[in-house]
Amino acid sequence: MAEFSYIRAGEVSEALALLNQPGYTSRPLAGSTDLILLLRNRPGWCDRVVDITLIPELHRITREGDIVTIGAAATFTEILSNPIIQATAPLLVQACATVGAVQIRNVATIGGNVANAAACADSLPALVCLDAVARVLVPTQAFSWPVAELVVKPNQTIIPPGGLLESLSYAVPAPGSRSYFNKLGRRKAMAISRLTVAVLGRVDEMGTIVETRIVTGSATPHICRLAEAEAVLVGHQPSQALFTAAGRTVADEMIRLSGRRWSTEFKEPAVMAMTAQALAQIFDAQEPEVA
Amino acid sequence: MKIEFTLNGCPIHFEAPADTSLLVALRDYLDMTGTKEGCGVGECGACSVLLDGKLVNSCLILAAQAHGRKVVTIEGIRGSDGEPNDLQQAFIDYGAVQCGFCIPGMVLAGEALLAHNPHPSRLEIRGAIAGNLCRCTGYMQIVDAIEATARRRGETRHA
Repeated sequence: MAEFSYIRAGEVSEALALLNQPGYTSRPLAGSTDLILLLRNRPGWCDRVVDITLIPELHRITREGDIVTIGAAATFTEILSNPIIQATAPLLVQACATVGAVQIRNVATIGGNVANAAACADSLPALVCLDAVARVLVPTQAFSWPVAELVVKPNQTIIPPGGLLESLSYAVPAPGSRSYFNKLGRRKAMAISRLTVAVLGRVDEMGTIVETRIVTGSATPHICRLAEAEAVLVGHQPSQALFTAAGRTVADEMIRLSGRRWSTEFKEPAVMAMTAQALAQIFDAQEPEVA
Repeated sequence: MKIEFTLNGCPIHFEAPADTSLLVALRDYLDMTGTKEGCGVGECGACSVLLDGKLVNSCLILAAQAHGRKVVTIEGIRGSDGEPNDLQQAFIDYGAVQCGFCIPGMVLAGEALLAHNPHPSRLEIRGAIAGNLCRCTGYMQIVDAIEATARRRGETRHA
């Protein structure tokens, strides 16, 4: 006897109806690479999966004006090979490229990554760094929530039961912005992130830093921009000493938000160095400008 | 539930519980035992198959997700004469096969790579098989075999 049943939705409205059909505890299947393992380990977590991976509009990646929208069922392979994302959010391409290996990236989706909200989810720090907004549908209305508010803590979002994460969108960063995603894992492929740092920033015509965004992954319970570290940089000329100071502040913020843990001894110097490295990467113009 | 898909070019159908993975369906319901179960959690790539031409871990996919789609397993990879194809022959020629358990997945990963990137660098080949673990650690010969096949296919195309 199967632990759950399977049904495939052909369009968004059908998926929403199925997710809210009385008599079932339904969950969206948006790839299955995490869900199938969760259901194996926690039988009874839901009694029906609604496959949304073959809904064409949930794969769409579009740019309207300065807003880029990514359908929740876009796979990591689709995202990292998409010209719109490549031009506007190089750090998201870098983040998606570090997910698992080809087999995982071909199936796993950005919506699944966000809704599952694993502590080590690679797309989350990149999306938060982009100030991305999630659009969530329930049968009667649609909500728009910043990803940083949607994901409360590891494995917990504010998506209501029966809700469907439809898309993620972000405003194209200001001209001249550069971004970088730095990941520390045990090896390049198939490695769960031990630590990630996502940065985005730009300088004015005088070379002064006018904007910086810094987000860490696998470091704090709640993934958010680290305002104190960002403030260290703005208004100054880029320098190695400044990057190191920002790295120090990121480490301090990480410890303040997460407390001292067994891993802090390792993560503290790592996050400092990774932050400084990532900042050097964007402010020494190693990375392409967004277009 | 009733599941239908095209397996190695042939339409098939079978009844299986909805929570059956594609891997279990292939091995236990369809007797396609070339697809191996290594880890069962998507870490090793031994269960790799092509779903609509894309490399996937069949242990992390429900058989139901393949309904109405095209699945290619290692049994579907062969030369026109039924013998090993050029990539499989290269695995033999370059000594890429030791215990053999990872090889079905490795061959499919190689085919998936060459289908969209006919001239991969060695680094790209290594990236393409990064999700396939070889317990015997014979990676160099596997990379050699894929590289040689890419070269020969390129020569054939330009001949």
